[in-house]
Amino acid sequence: MAMAQSIASLSLGATAQLQGTSASGSAASGSARPSLSLRSNATGFSSQAHFTGSFGLSWSVQGNGLSRSERRHGAVLAVRAAAGEKKNVLIVNTNSGGHAVIGFWTAKDLVAAGHSVTILTVGEESSDKMKKQPFSRFNELREIGVQTVWGEPSDLGAALGNIQAPFDVVLDNNGKTLDVVQPVADWAKANGAKQILFISSAGIYKSSFEQPHVEGDAVKEDAGHKLVENYLADLGLESWASFRPQYMTGDGNNKDCEEWFFDRISRDRPVCIPAPGIQVTNISHVRDLSSMLTLAVEKPEAANGSIFNCCSDRGTTFDGLVKMCAKAAGKEAKIVHYDPKAAGVDAKKAFPFRNMHFYAEPRAAKTKLGWESKTNLAEDLKERYQEYVKIGRDKKDIKFELDDKILEAVSEPVAA
Amino acid sequence: MATSQAVLAQALPAASPVASSSGVSQRKPASAALAAPFKGSLAGLRCESNGAVVAKSSRLGVDIGIVKEAAGRSIARRAVVTASASATEPKNILMMGGTRFIGLFLARELVKAGHQVTLFTRGKAPITQQLPGESDEEFADYSSKVKHLQGDRQDFDGLKEKLKGTNFNIVYDINGREGKEVEPILESLPGLEQYIFCSSAGVYLKSDQLPHFEVDAVDPKSRHKGKLDTETLLQSKGVAWTSIRPVYIYGPLNYNPVEEWFFHRLKEGRPIPVPNSGMQITQLGHVKDLARAFVEVLKNEKAYNQIYNISGAKYVTFDGIAKACAKAGGFPEPQIVHYNPKDFDFGKKKAFPLRDQHFFTSVEKAEKELDFTPEFGLVEGLTDSYNLDFGRGTFRKAADFSTDDMILEKLGIKTAVAA
Repeated sequence: MAMAQSIASLSLGATAQLQGTSASGSAASGSARPSLSLRSNATGFSSQAHFTGSFGLSWSVQGNGLSRSERRHGAVLAVRAAAGEKKNVLIVNTNSGGHAVIGFWTAKDLVAAGHSVTILTVGEESSDKMKKQPFSRFNELREIGVQTVWGEPSDLGAALGNIQAPFDVVLDNNGKTLDVVQPVADWAKANGAKQILFISSAGIYKSSFEQPHVEGDAVKEDAGHKLVENYLADLGLESWASFRPQYMTGDGNNKDCEEWFFDRISRDRPVCIPAPGIQVTNISHVRDLSSMLTLAVEKPEAANGSIFNCCSDRGTTFDGLVKMCAKAAGKEAKIVHYDPKAAGVDAKKAFPFRNMHFYAEPRAAKTKLGWESKTNLAEDLKERYQEYVKIGRDKKDIKFELDDKILEAVSEPVAA
Repeated sequence: MATSQAVLAQALPAASPVASSSGVSQRKPASAALAAPFKGSLAGLRCESNGAVVAKSSRLGVDIGIVKEAAGRSIARRAVVTASASATEPKNILMMGGTRFIGLFLARELVKAGHQVTLFTRGKAPITQQLPGESDEEFADYSSKVKHLQGDRQDFDGLKEKLKGTNFNIVYDINGREGKEVEPILESLPGLEQYIFCSSAGVYLKSDQLPHFEVDAVDPKSRHKGKLDTETLLQSKGVAWTSIRPVYIYGPLNYNPVEEWFFHRLKEGRPIPVPNSGMQITQLGHVKDLARAFVEVLKNEKAYNQIYNISGAKYVTFDGIAKACAKAGGFPEPQIVHYNPKDFDFGKKKAFPLRDQHFFTSVEKAEKELDFTPEFGLVEGLTDSYNLDFGRGTFRKAADFSTDDMILEKLGIKTAVAA
């Protein structure tokens, strides 16, 4: 079987060649990996004998530790092990909001796995938005060889300017509607990309009395993200996939998540939770998303044509989240349940998450990509709280107008 | 053909026929729309709807599979080859219990698969009873093959006497409750190859983070402590064991009033009182899926010394169960009434059949390792239960609306039908 041959033909160490400089700028010296990143600047490699997860055998090496032999003058059969080929990835990243951090982590993960990355952030480098994380930390990306550029997704060619290397993969972590993503997708196809990945949203799932949201469930057909998914499915690229995230925690986040809870807990304030408090949601550490995306880049055939719920594999109740945050802060949780209508507040403004069960499970990633969730909220939140205190946010002067309004409403005697 | 398939074919005349995965011979493809069935040496192949063929490492022996398409799913259909468990040589099976619910279906599957099955019961319930939808021929065949060993498993000495020299090589312990009940069986059966135990997801420690995975913390103080003790005891013995943890089991002939409780109220056009928000999430698993899972683990080395959650592929809220039951029985959308249980004293009576908390498990371990896929969706499964049981006028527990009336009165809600 070709597999046995490929194992025999893999060579390490002495026969591997150090990568020369390439336009993508990901010099081997910039990464911690040994000299196993072979890349031909001349022709691409034939992608025959592609061993992916679809054979159910765990060929789970993540890009380092496996070399491959090149076909050189009819010498050895070129074998592309699932994780062995280096990809050139373009990430089109949003300049704000909850998804911004995905591009930051994914860039890092991809580089660690031996790929080269360009991240194009929408807008201008000089904009005020760039003062917030993760953008304020893009030097961390440049230090590991990621090219950072700014521009408009409607004209990627212009935005990318002098960056020559054709991209194997384009990851759109920006658009929510077809008018924004279409030019990116079209450009990717026209410029030879083999794979397009789209960050969609688990918010497009239709509510049902059954849980959780599973890939394949009904979605709102006219949702912008869905229309993009439809477009990508018909585009005719070698591989496409859509990732539907939920809420994220993690270093470099552009949008508050656990911070909302820490703001209250660190000040010994009660945490107001819309009743009944048992609503289940999914808070993932962003590394779960970046690891899933990296796997998809490395297993384009396994990922092709798939929707992936991009989140951890456990849900948490609202009350449970408060308790974990309190524990992370070394404090007692004080929870007050309220009815938003009765308290005269808009739940969307008073609370950071959708006031309902909003819970998806990452079943496709597990079965198709062999992905595993590493989110451990109890531990992750400890880390996040330490960071929260380190930057002095527990001392910041914050107004809690809506909370106060709720607490007042709740403390009033209820009519019999 | 397999009993369950015949039963299903009768129950769901409008739906596409669903293939049962048990049994060796007389396998027919479920529908013309499906890919050709795999046979023989292509053991354990799974054909995904995007065309990828997934080879799973199969068990010893030849698996015969059927490609089945999930009925009623309007999106992303997933064609699955369900592997049969019948590849093993015939075993001499001792089943503790087997005359009440799970065992009724499981024993039949095992007999059909060619094993010799002996039910150990006190004889209080009939040893065999014809299942709703089971043909006379099938029932006669089963009755002629299944054996009975009469005794009280709580009488440990008597049990050992009865088991001495019997040569059972497999035990299915369906009704065990306490760890100490296992010892006499193990002592009496030196040739035992596998002890398969029906445990319960009730052993999991209540958590705010869900679902429960097999590796999660268990609660040594739970009501199901005995099940946990049994698992622990089995782990300490040398015999190969497998433990199955179901959640809420449902299906025709359920003696636990799960769906029955809802059907009683729906039938009378009564409002359905659900405690607190009705958002509590739980999980129902069809008894036939559970029986198949039990068959899957038989002589399956992968399953040795392993625990598996077995239940439906999806979870459901309390309110959702009410709605699903209404759909299943062809009733109009139910009126659901929420109440605070703390405002009432129901005495010894249970005002609601399910524990008032989130309670659901991940079945991905079984799906991955055992090639187990729950066949029944929630509404499909409840329809099966309704058509074969409650809808025919049969039930285990008569309707008792006394707690309902207490609730409705306090909330000032009138029932449509005079009490």
